[in-house]
Formats: sequence, C-alpha cells, structure tokens
Amino acid sequence: MNTSTTAATAAAPVAPSFAEREVKLTAWLVVSAILAGSVLQVWVPPGGLTLVAGAGLAGLVALAVAFLAPGRIRETLAGFRFISTLLFVLAVFAILGTLVLQGKPAGFYVDRYGLVGSLIVALRLDDVFHGLPFALVMALFGSSVIASATLRWPVNLRKAGFFICHVGLLTSLAGAAASASLALRGRIDLHAGGEQATQVRLTRAGAPTGEYAQLGFDLRLDRFDLVNYETEYRVGYYEQKRVQDARGERDAWRLVASFDPDTEKHRLPNGDSFRLKGIYPDFAPATKAEPANAGAPALQATVGGVTQWLAPGQRLASPDGSLALVFGWDRPAAPEGAMTAVLVSGAERKVVVHRADGEVEQAYAPGLALLGGAVRLGPLHEHASRTVEHGSASREWRNPVVAVEVQQKGLPKEQLMSAAQPSAYMLAPTRALVFEKRDKEVKAFVSHVTARQGAAAERRSIAVNDPMTFAGWTLYQVNYNPEDPTYSGLEAVYDPGVPWVFTGFALICLGVFYMFYVEPRLKRAAATAKA
Amino acid sequence: MLQYVIAEHPFFVATGALYAAAVGFYAAAWRSTKEMVGRLATGLMTLALLLNLALILQRWHEAGREPFKSLFESLVFFAFWMAAVYLVFERLYKTRVFGLPATLLSFGLIAYALAKWDAEIVKLPPALRSPWFAPHVIVYFVGYAAVSLAFGLAVIQLLAPRVPLVQRLLAMKAGTITSGKPLDVEAMSYALVRFGFVLLTVGLLVGSIWAKSAWGDYWVWDPKENWSLVTWLVYGGYLHLRRVRGWRGEKGAWLLVMGFAVVMFTYLGMSMLPTAEESAHVYSG
Ligand code: HEM
Repeated sequence: MNTSTTAATAAAPVAPSFAEREVKLTAWLVVSAILAGSVLQVWVPPGGLTLVAGAGLAGLVALAVAFLAPGRIRETLAGFRFISTLLFVLAVFAILGTLVLQGKPAGFYVDRYGLVGSLIVALRLDDVFHGLPFALVMALFGSSVIASATLRWPVNLRKAGFFICHVGLLTSLAGAAASASLALRGRIDLHAGGEQATQVRLTRAGAPTGEYAQLGFDLRLDRFDLVNYETEYRVGYYEQKRVQDARGERDAWRLVASFDPDTEKHRLPNGDSFRLKGIYPDFAPATKAEPANAGAPALQATVGGVTQWLAPGQRLASPDGSLALVFGWDRPAAPEGAMTAVLVSGAERKVVVHRADGEVEQAYAPGLALLGGAVRLGPLHEHASRTVEHGSASREWRNPVVAVEVQQKGLPKEQLMSAAQPSAYMLAPTRALVFEKRDKEVKAFVSHVTARQGAAAERRSIAVNDPMTFAGWTLYQVNYNPEDPTYSGLEAVYDPGVPWVFTGFALICLGVFYMFYVEPRLKRAAATAKA
Repeated sequence: MLQYVIAEHPFFVATGALYAAAVGFYAAAWRSTKEMVGRLATGLMTLALLLNLALILQRWHEAGREPFKSLFESLVFFAFWMAAVYLVFERLYKTRVFGLPATLLSFGLIAYALAKWDAEIVKLPPALRSPWFAPHVIVYFVGYAAVSLAFGLAVIQLLAPRVPLVQRLLAMKAGTITSGKPLDVEAMSYALVRFGFVLLTVGLLVGSIWAKSAWGDYWVWDPKENWSLVTWLVYGGYLHLRRVRGWRGEKGAWLLVMGFAVVMFTYLGMSMLPTAEESAHVYSG
C-alpha cells in the first residue's frame, strides 16, 4: 500500500465521485465486453484461435485506449475494484462451464433440454471457454495486469511480490495461449509384438479430425501388461436399502461393513455378532480318526502344511509333487514320480526315507519330524473309527469356505459359507452375511515401448500417471481392450505451452507467498530503521 | 451401529469423544475465570489431534495407500487439519475464544463421518496412483482448514454487533484471552485467508501438474477443477476487495461466508452438478 493510487483508494477522503466513476466505468467495460463478445460470436465461432486472437487483439486495443484516451481508464483498469470484479466474473464463467456440459454436438443440447438447449447452442454456452465473451474478459484481465504493473513501476524489493505474481500471470496466460493455438493431440493405437507407429491420428475435444501428424520417430509396442491387485476374500455385511437411481426406485443390497477372514469375534452394525470357527482355503471333507477296537489302521501325517488322516494304501503329496508320504500296514513300495518318498509301515512301526541315491530307515514315533520339518508324523492307531469333518486339502485359496457362528439374541448358530457359491447367512430378510471373493481390480495398465529416431532409441514403459516424453511428444496410456490383451491405446500430445504455464504458476505461488510473508517483514524492518 | 463402531473402530470413537470433550471445555472456558479450564481444553484438543493422526496413519498402513480416497477418509483427514490449524492459531494469537467453533468443526466432521458411515477400504484406481496425489490433497486440506476457520471468525464478526453474548466474547479478559488484549477478528480472519490462499494456489498448481501427467492436459475444465478455480477466484476477489474502502467490515465477512460455501460445495457438492457424470473427481458413495 505504498503507491499513490492504493493509498488514495484505501485511506484518503477522496471525493465520492471518483469511486462512483470507477464503479460505473468498471461495470461498463465488463458488460460491454461480454455483450460485444456474445454478438460477435455469431460470425466468429468459438475455438482455440478465436480465444487467442480475440483476447490478444482486444487486449491491445484496451491497453491502447487506457494509455491514450483521456479520463482515468488506466487507473480504473489497474484498480482493486476492477480486478475484483473481473475475478468474480471469471468465477461466473467457470461455474457456467460446470452447469452446461461442454463441447457436445449441438443436437445433444436440443434433445436433452429442448428450448433451453437451443438457447445454449445459440449463445454458444456449449463452448464457453473458447468463445469471444470469455476471450474479451480475458483481454480485460490481461490489460489490467499490465496496467497495474506500469502504474507501480519501478520494481523494488518491498513490492517485488506483486511483480513476481504479475509476471507469473502473464507467463501462464502466454503459455495457455501457446497451448490453445499450437498444441496437437491425437491417438496412437498399437498391438503388442512389434507393431510400429510413425504418425498420430489427430483429435479435437476427443473426436477424430481426420488429419494426421507425423511423430518424427518410430514407436513400437513391445508388450502390454494389465496389472491387477491381488484377489481378496472378505466377510461382508449387507443391508437391503431402497435406492433411487437411473433405473428408478428399487431395493438394492448395499455393503455396509466388511471384515478380514480371521477367527476373532466381530460385532455387526445391526447389533449381532459373529466369529469364524473354521477357515478352509481349499475346502474338502477331512476324515478324523479315533482309536477303537475295530476298523482299519490310521496314521495322521502332515506334508507341506496339510494334515490328514491316512488309511493303509493312501498317500499325501506336497503341492509340487516332489515329495510324497505313503502309509501301509506292511511296508509300502515307493511311488513312481516323487523324488523323495517317506514310507511308513504300521506293523513294523518303521519309517523309511527313500531317495534316488538310497534309503534311510528309522523307528516311528508320534511327533517325528523328517526332511527338515517338511514331513511330520502324528498318532498311529492300529484300529480306528472314522468321522468326516470340514478340512482344507491345501493352503492355496482354491475353494475357500468358512464356518461362521452367528450370535443373534444370545443364540449361537453355525453355517458354512462358500466364496464360490451363493451361501449367505441371512440374519434377517433384509440383512445378510456373505463370504465373498473381491474381484480382481485393475492396478495399472502398462505399455512397454521402444521409440527410435535415427540411431537414438529409448525403451520405456508408459502407464497411467507415468507418461513418456520423446522428441517433443508426450505419450499417455489412455485405452485398452479387455477382449484383446495385445492392444494398447496411447494419447500423444505436443504442447509447447506447458513449461510456460507451469513456470508462470510457480511464479504466482512465489509472488503471493512473498507478498504475504516477506514484504511485511521488509516493511517492518524499514520502519524500525527509520525510527 | 454405534455399538459396532465402538467394538470394531474404538480409536475412531475415542477421537470423536475427545473432540466432544474439547468442545465442552472450550465452552466452559468462556464462563470460567480459571486458567486451568482453558488449559484442559487445549490439552484435550491436542490429544484428540494426536489420536486423529494415529487414525490416519493406521489407515494408511492398513490400506497400503494414501488414506484419503473415500469421502469417509477425507472427512477424518479434514478434521485433523482443522484441529492442527486451529491449535497453531491458538498459539500464535494467544486466545481460546475461538476454540469452540474450531472444535465444533472438527467434531462435526467426525460426527458426519459416523453418520454416513462407510469405512470400507477401496483400492486406488490407476488414475489416482500418482506421487502427486498426497501433496495435492494435503495442501488443499490445510488450505481448506484455514479458510474454514476464517469462516468461523467471520460468523463471529457478523454476530458480534447483533448478539450481546458474542460481543462480550471479543472483549473477554479472563480465562480465555491469555494475552488480555482485545481481539481484532477481522485482522485474524484476513491472516487466515492469506495463509489459506497461498495453499489454494499451490494446490491448484500441483493439481494441474498432476492433471498433465495423468490426463495429458494441465486443465480440462473438469467440474471439480472449475470449482477449485472458483474458490481461488472468490478468495482472490476478497483479498483485493479488502483494499477497497468499505470492504473490511461486514461486507468482507460476508465474502468469507460465501467463500466457505463455495469450498463446501467444491468438496461435497460435485455430484449435484449436471456435469458430474463426466467428472473424474466426484466422491462415489
Ligand atoms: C488472478 C490473479 C491474481 C492473483 C492470484 C492476485 C493475487 C494478489 C494477492 C494475493 C495480493 C495481495 C493482497 C493483499 O496483500 O491483501 C495482490 C495484491 C495486488 N494485486 Fe493482485 N492478483 C491477481 C491479479 C491481479 C490483477 C489482474 C491486478 C490488476 C489490477 C492485481 C493488482 C494487485 C495490486 C495492485 C495489488 C497490491 C499490491 C501492493 O499493494 O503492492 N492483481 N494480488
């Protein structure tokens, strides 16, 4: 606030007529820019060039008038009232762009909104940000930035923030203008296995224009990967709710809470509780044996983490088949195929470890661990009675099933729930507990490509959020085809405005920070120095 | 439902309870002349803040990704920054008069998360798996917290001449104002907006860098982008208008109320827009 204009507007008891005149001039400038733009766009339709050329020309005119015409146009343009008004007007434009879908074909609006739709098309509200009204408001904005800077010239440390900010604004605007008029974007569709592209199918607002641009290099898709998150199993609690959506009003099951499959007791949102009594990743009935006076012999054994009761003649193999245990009343023969076999004889109470290079024999004992713990022997009964229980054939999640015990009003009740089949536990007609497999969700789409320009070649992967820049083009992962795993769709963008936009924006950040947190310190320091 | 949340998410409930207790003590500090009451309020708020942080970190660990994907997560995150910004503010300005609105905001966010309970962990889609995600969201929420607090102060500024109790608050000497100086609410909310505005500016920049790397364009006129721009323009308008004679009083305060409404709409209202179907930004659920 150390310049004549700001001091005048902020503090001095100036004649009210000045403020009044400023308000009037501001309103007049903004309203006429919008009206003129709306009328002129009957002949000059919206577009990148319209925006850039319109804003540029009108900005020059506004500046020329501001500097040459009598009156206080330049002071008004540079004033706080004017810039605040413009900021609010720009906000209205931005809001408009969120109320009317942008860039659709004219028929869309008429079909959807009828008469209002025709009005939208007539006023070109279907492309607000490339039309002349917006361009002319931007022209006022740019001339305001320049006018205020000239009024505050020269720069010094105590007001550098304002200039940094304004240089940033102009840099960003210039960059945006470069983007709007020079940028090219389009699609490259490739199939893995060496298909090459040398050109880009150009698009505007997502639709093909029919034109092509040369990439200036060869792009080859070596491989396309669709990376998924790992499959998950969870216990989900669902409630039926009335929903209102595109398909009308109806009842729909909604997931309210879900739980890891563990053996802890969990409380449900409706007040009931549950506990998983058994978790069987690879559900299969399992035999349990108890000593008895009659019945076939039984041996409990664990191989590769899976525990089973075996009858004579039965075997238990590790998942990869390299290791097998065979139980027999008399000494069993080594099976074909397995590299290593453990042969248990019930009558002799002997264990033989059989390998290609020989055999080692030892006495059976319950709890005996062999081959570094890969095989463990349990009890051996000469006669056993058998009952069938729930069990897991392996530790792989091939056919997961849980045994759930639900407590409702103090009464426990048990049920099996399978992830493969619908087997919900109905707590009430509108509430259910489900053991479910969470479908694989996509984690990333990755194209492995090679770009080649003369002797220079670069191999890289392109993924969503991880584009590749080569020879002025930036390539983005944008499409895939679930039916064709070799296909990848890339978007290619050539946009010389980008570095300017970001540099400008960084300057705005810096300038604003400087204004708020550095300038006050400098001013205070100067004040104390004076005192 | 509450029983379920208590049993399955005890730290969430504890966080809410601590904020509620802080609300009580900050309110009591308005009446009590005892220094202790105010200190307890600050202590409880600090405890709530730490527990809130633990909730966020635990979620980060459990989900294996940034913990602000779903609306539920973002509410918990917002509550944290609200409390953090307020506690720094309290230290800087040495007053507890505004503890009540600030804790109410934090508590309200947690209560809203409870009411709309949806704590399911969802996976990050490819578009959100970016190193820009965390800085973008963090910067915005700190900024939102600052301008929300400024809104709280603006409301007090507007109420003061109309409600004698509020008027008395600003001149309160005992218990709450530890410095004993009278309060200039307008200057405080202005300072908060300046701080918030720097963050909103950085957030916009980071967002556009991210958009460039994810969508290939730094600005696509997406509804959420536009409304972030509107937010920025409104506060920009406020900062400039404040220098025009006559705008430091109630007119300025009304602008902050409007700014807050825009922030809330940007945060929660996107699904109401006719253009929402095309937005990449709407919270689902
Ligand atoms: C949208 C872009 C703009 C942003 C983000 C911006 C930001 C700011 C900020 C944050 C301040 C400091 C306000 C304060 O300390 O209270 C400021 C001051 C100022 N702005 Fe802007 N501004 C923008 C556009 C403009 C334009 C177009 C003008 C042209 C009239 C302008 C003229 C000024 C002036 C004259 C000051 C006061 C500088 C001083 O006191 O040294 N601003 N601007």
